[in-house]
Amino acid sequence: MTSEQGLRPTPPSIPDATPAPRPPRKRRLPRLRDFRSALPFVVILGIYIVVALVPALFVGSVDVAAELSDRLLPPGSVTDTGTHFLGTDQLGRDVLNRLVFGTRVSLTIAVSAVVFAGLVGTTLGVIAGTYRGALGALIMRLADVVLSVPFFLLAILTVVALGPSLVNVVICLALVRWPRYTRVAYGQTLEAGGKEFVTSATAIGATKLWVVLRHVVPEVLPSVIVVATLELGTMVLYEASLSFIGLGVQPPTPSWGAMLSDGRAYIGTAWWLTTFPGLALFVLVLSVNLLGDFVRDRLDPSEQALRQ
Amino acid sequence: MSFLSAGTLRFLAGRLGQAVIQVLGVVTIVFILLRLTGDPAALLVPQQATAEDIARVREQLGLDQPIWIQYLDYLGGLLRFDFGYSFIQNRPALTLIGERLPFTVDLALAALVLSVAVGVPVGIISAVYRKRIAGRVLMPVVLVGQSMPAFWLGLLLILIFSVNLRWLPATGVDGVTSLILPAVTLASLSFATIARITRSSFLEQLSADYVRTARSHGAGTGRVLFGHVLRNASIPVVTLVGLEIASLLGGAVITETIFAWPGIGQLTVQSIQANDFPVVQAIVLLVAIVYIAANLVTDILYSVIDPRVRLTAGK
Amino acid sequence: MPTPATPALALQPRAHVPRGPKRVIRRLLSTGSMAAAGAVLVAGCSLSSGVPSTSGEGSGPVADASITIDLSNYPSTLDPALQYDESTYSVYRNIYDQLLRRDPKTLEPTPWIATEWENTSPTEWTFTIRDDVTFSDGTPLTASDVAFSISRILDPALNSAQFANFSAIASAEATSPTELKVTTKAPSPTLLTYLTTLSIVPQAYVEEVGAEGLNSAPVGSGPYTLEAATAGSEVRLTRNDSWWSDAPSIEDVVFRSVPDASARLADLQSGTATLALGLTADQAIQLESGTDVEVLSAPTERVAYLGLNALGDTATSDPDIREAIKLAIDYDSIIDNLLGGYASPVGTILTPLAFGYPDGTSDNEYDPDRAKALIEQSGIQDPELVFPSSPSYDPQIIQAIQSDLEAVGFSVSIENSDQATYLKKVQSPAHDWGSLRFGLWSCSCLDADGVLYPLFRTDTIWSSWSDPDFDALVDHARTTLDEDERVADYEQAVSIVSEQTPGIGLYQVDAIYGAAPELDWTPDAVQSLFVDQMSLGG
Repeated sequence: MTSEQGLRPTPPSIPDATPAPRPPRKRRLPRLRDFRSALPFVVILGIYIVVALVPALFVGSVDVAAELSDRLLPPGSVTDTGTHFLGTDQLGRDVLNRLVFGTRVSLTIAVSAVVFAGLVGTTLGVIAGTYRGALGALIMRLADVVLSVPFFLLAILTVVALGPSLVNVVICLALVRWPRYTRVAYGQTLEAGGKEFVTSATAIGATKLWVVLRHVVPEVLPSVIVVATLELGTMVLYEASLSFIGLGVQPPTPSWGAMLSDGRAYIGTAWWLTTFPGLALFVLVLSVNLLGDFVRDRLDPSEQALRQ
Repeated sequence: MSFLSAGTLRFLAGRLGQAVIQVLGVVTIVFILLRLTGDPAALLVPQQATAEDIARVREQLGLDQPIWIQYLDYLGGLLRFDFGYSFIQNRPALTLIGERLPFTVDLALAALVLSVAVGVPVGIISAVYRKRIAGRVLMPVVLVGQSMPAFWLGLLLILIFSVNLRWLPATGVDGVTSLILPAVTLASLSFATIARITRSSFLEQLSADYVRTARSHGAGTGRVLFGHVLRNASIPVVTLVGLEIASLLGGAVITETIFAWPGIGQLTVQSIQANDFPVVQAIVLLVAIVYIAANLVTDILYSVIDPRVRLTAGK
Repeated sequence: MPTPATPALALQPRAHVPRGPKRVIRRLLSTGSMAAAGAVLVAGCSLSSGVPSTSGEGSGPVADASITIDLSNYPSTLDPALQYDESTYSVYRNIYDQLLRRDPKTLEPTPWIATEWENTSPTEWTFTIRDDVTFSDGTPLTASDVAFSISRILDPALNSAQFANFSAIASAEATSPTELKVTTKAPSPTLLTYLTTLSIVPQAYVEEVGAEGLNSAPVGSGPYTLEAATAGSEVRLTRNDSWWSDAPSIEDVVFRSVPDASARLADLQSGTATLALGLTADQAIQLESGTDVEVLSAPTERVAYLGLNALGDTATSDPDIREAIKLAIDYDSIIDNLLGGYASPVGTILTPLAFGYPDGTSDNEYDPDRAKALIEQSGIQDPELVFPSSPSYDPQIIQAIQSDLEAVGFSVSIENSDQATYLKKVQSPAHDWGSLRFGLWSCSCLDADGVLYPLFRTDTIWSSWSDPDFDALVDHARTTLDEDERVADYEQAVSIVSEQTPGIGLYQVDAIYGAAPELDWTPDAVQSLFVDQMSLGG
């Protein structure tokens, strides 16, 4: 069971053949004590979520007023407005403040885009894998079409057509990324379709829908989750690219993406402009990915076999 | 030969037909989307231009006609292998692409080789040694590549190796030395993906029945790994590599811009920003063809390798 | 094959583990790295071109030196009748000669290919053309080549971006090999200034090879000829030893296209580039503090301005609001802090370099209290301003302006879009594009006509304002050659603009270059880049 199976070419139908040798049993649900080693990542993610929900708790109100005489001050500088622990940006605004408030924007965009794309993409992939034939082929070919248009182009054109705003950025990102989930879900659906418990459930007369929901979806989810965790960091970086061409969230709203793109010209001098959003992004991506791997490992019987 | 059975041929024909429709679909979507955005005529006239100047330019470029007429003209041109003339440079779009493509191919190949040469061993090590420190540390390191903005790494490398150490040139095309920094920057993204898929592919194989069987018969781990696991694990890796080539060709925009590498990535972003429709359409067509062809080839390879696919095609 | 009963057999005894995988991995690594090295070498072999070194130590200009100039884009063409953006003209104006040049100090048009001229009637000019100039293919340059060069630009079939600059010309004809007669449709006070940008092409050659041929194999009479070009990357020029004027000191010049500003800076710091164009103020400050790269700058006639929408359904249709906006902006702070002093304050939308700039104009005032009072006076509660923009404009300036305006009580929403959509929006005759927009205006003409007319006259694509008195004034000033009349017209026009504020001049822009210390060159106000004026080691 590969998490990156979506990156294989979509296998043409293998209706009745048994896939590669596997332990022929279902997953056991993970017990609570299994999550011990995942605790640090859960805590980290929890911090991010809390910061995103109530940023004012940490740094007061958002700093949007430009203070040009305080531009590009290094971390630790003190001005009339207080101590700038992470320095000031190119318009004199406090970096820590914008980082904290940007968490909300960036996390919202990344999570929404991933959830949106994931739901749409996975659903389409499961449909394509279940109702193979014209509908399935159409969905998969549409996915290929979207994948073969360069991101830059699709992103610009979408945002131009819709106008730049947070919601439209999410729509744009979701539109560009849904095929990845579709491919993974499709592949997993096909594999699940050949498993014993599915064929036996069908044999005793269960409806296709019931089979799909009860048996196929749990098989599909782990891989989709791993793809989703990979996508989270990518979404923030894509938002940075959109901000760089001016089509992300509009100023003065802070977001990590905007901070990264604004700070690009200052990497050699005011390194703190890109380093801190970069670090925040890296820790987030790391935690989400390791947590995702952890979840996948626990839910994957072949991994369970390896562990014994 | 059973390979060329009617079922296989039907399967191939079907996929080829689908591929053509896909390419057409990509091109149509892009064509329509481009014309929904701003009008390039305003970009092509100087500031002092009048409204009549803009209208004249628009007419000259054929943009004042209804979309469906423009579309039919475009398709007709494609059939004659006429990919249009750049609005900006007034030269054939295909010529412009032809001038830039070799540079991107060089860069993409170098990046691909680098990321395979580093990514595959990293993936294998982190799979085989997944219980030890080496394996556990490697995955976060790999993740750095995926969560770092490309421009950050690129500019950082320039700062270190060009400005401070003066070992390597920052920009331009000037021999092997100028290829190193852009290739490393570009490879940092795909190396992570390749490492991950190698790792999970290896893990999948390591738990497979035939591995256990071989081991239980006393085969050494080395022979098991190299003989069987590698071969089977390489299938998804190879298919991924094929797809990465296509995405590297169409992408690498940021890397090419920073390092002033005159490839089609740079051409893409400049043409999009200048609304140079014919060039954008030609590039999209090219990338789509490469991507869909890579897909098709790997599908075919997959069907060759796995007979079940062939035999059940067309059902 | 039967599955083994005991899963425990899957685990090898510890002793066996180290050898196998390690050998495999080592094998993979060595193969992999050899493959990588091989591929890189193969790829690299096709890329070698060799960079010219920047020579130049010691006293006195070095003869036969080579320099490298970093541009922000690859020149879009080498045909001098088409585009004329800085990256493009910087290259081709070294291959071709222009009809006139500018005096470096006074910026007045001075003789070049034309040695003298006479205004024989309000709409007729006669130019005397040099007789000692040859093109690089050996053919002599005559007045008919000049006439051809002008007519070419005016030919609608060529679709030249420079059409508007020469549209005042009705016809150009050579009355003898050394005499050119230019007839304008109406008296044109800006004719000479635009003729400093006219590059002369060989008629016979162009008629033979066409525009595309001229672009790929340019033939000019200028100080340099094309040696090689790598599409998208670099253009190499080499000195034309049969040039009619004083031999240039630089022998070879390589123009490289480096779109990323940080990369241009890195090239300067690593010694790869001798000169780099288009640096930002922040980069200049960085260079000044502790590197040996020099910053060269010159005030230009480019002005940063805000265009206000007086005709649309928005708060700026009220003149008090427009005046309030003018008073709310802290110009000095923007100039000193954001632009590092590489800009100068202005009091109108003209720079002092433009003909027609009223002497004694005082700089714009910054008075936020009066701005607030004006907002109250206007009666509009919580005025909202829509600020469309595109990535072509410095987001820092846009945001600083937003911040200043919000400090006096406006609420400003920035609406970014791509440049084409932005232009379509703000040029729409429906005047529904928003409230204010930022722009950088330069006509390369050093004349008020090139600024006031296109920006504010009724019904131009840029104007969202209408005043019949203003229209009459700029119409008149455009078609008379009497300098005193023109000065009077523009003085009045500028005062109307100051009263009604359809636009606000923010600052006069400096052009900023980075240069190796051994480069001897002074930039000018029109951002010309004549390599024959450069030398190394001076």
